[in-house]
Amino acid sequence: MNRTEIMAKLNEIFCDVFDDEDIVLTDATNSDDIEDWDSLEQINLLVAIEKQFSIKFSLADVADLENVGAMVDLIERMVG
Amino acid sequence: MSVYLITGATSDLGFELIKTVAKDGDKFLLQGFGDESALKAFCEENKIDYTYYDVNLSDSVATDKFVEDIKSTGLTPTHFVHLPALRVVNTKFKSFDEERFMADMNVQVMSAVKICKYIMPKMAKAKFGRVLFMATSYVLANPPKNTGAYIMAKNAIVGLMKSLASDYVSNGITVNSVSPSMIETKFLAETSHLIVEAAANDHPMKRNAQVNDVVPAMAFLLSEEARFITGVNLPVTGGSVIE
Repeated sequence: MNRTEIMAKLNEIFCDVFDDEDIVLTDATNSDDIEDWDSLEQINLLVAIEKQFSIKFSLADVADLENVGAMVDLIERMVG
Repeated sequence: MSVYLITGATSDLGFELIKTVAKDGDKFLLQGFGDESALKAFCEENKIDYTYYDVNLSDSVATDKFVEDIKSTGLTPTHFVHLPALRVVNTKFKSFDEERFMADMNVQVMSAVKICKYIMPKMAKAKFGRVLFMATSYVLANPPKNTGAYIMAKNAIVGLMKSLASDYVSNGITVNSVSPSMIETKFLAETSHLIVEAAANDHPMKRNAQVNDVVPAMAFLLSEEARFITGVNLPVTGGSVIE
């Protein structure tokens, strides 16, 4: 799975989790850009990502993710 | 001799509670659903005098039959501990179907109502009773998102507890509940490991509760020494919620 495909799937997950069809992610998107993106929703996002990509994060993996680009990089590494 | 009626007895909390409170001569009426083999082995190993009832508490007809079965024992429970809950699903409110809300209400609340309608008058006549419900620290502070059915039922059970405490306060019966923070048990089997790890990380003691953190508080509320405590929802949170 390439980066573009991962980003597309991630966009779908964000729209579902935040209940907002208008979200358009870029590498630079971070929690300041989406009003409801708090620590609880971060966990919900990660749970949905784990399910979608059949991967398993550790808290250490995800503690320092700065933005969506870092998230995509991590997923890309984990799905191989 | 005490007669313990414990619903949700096949939970990790159920096992530990039985082990903690059991004394020679006590009888245990134990309800579970579909997972009795471990409980049976546990009771036989610990020489517990028990009768097991396999009952799906989400089915009101099955619950009615369970109450009839309890009646037919001719025993009046001295202690009733109500532990059952469906495993928590993390689902957005708009995606919850009504059946799930009803299932949570049946398992946690309506089953307690049906059982209490039978046993409370019996306990009142005996002038003794200890009733204990399992709530959650989520009823004490902001609940987590996406757990609507579970939170609704837990708040209802606290409401039932307070109402029964008030109704039976003059009959030697105490009715209480405990509200633990997240306990690491098999109940969390369908909860993401990230949620469990994050809860531990956010906890002031940097860990979640263990079964043996919670059961002593339950055992105390069931004891003779707790005779002057009723209508209380006791937080067992290790300081994650301070009221």
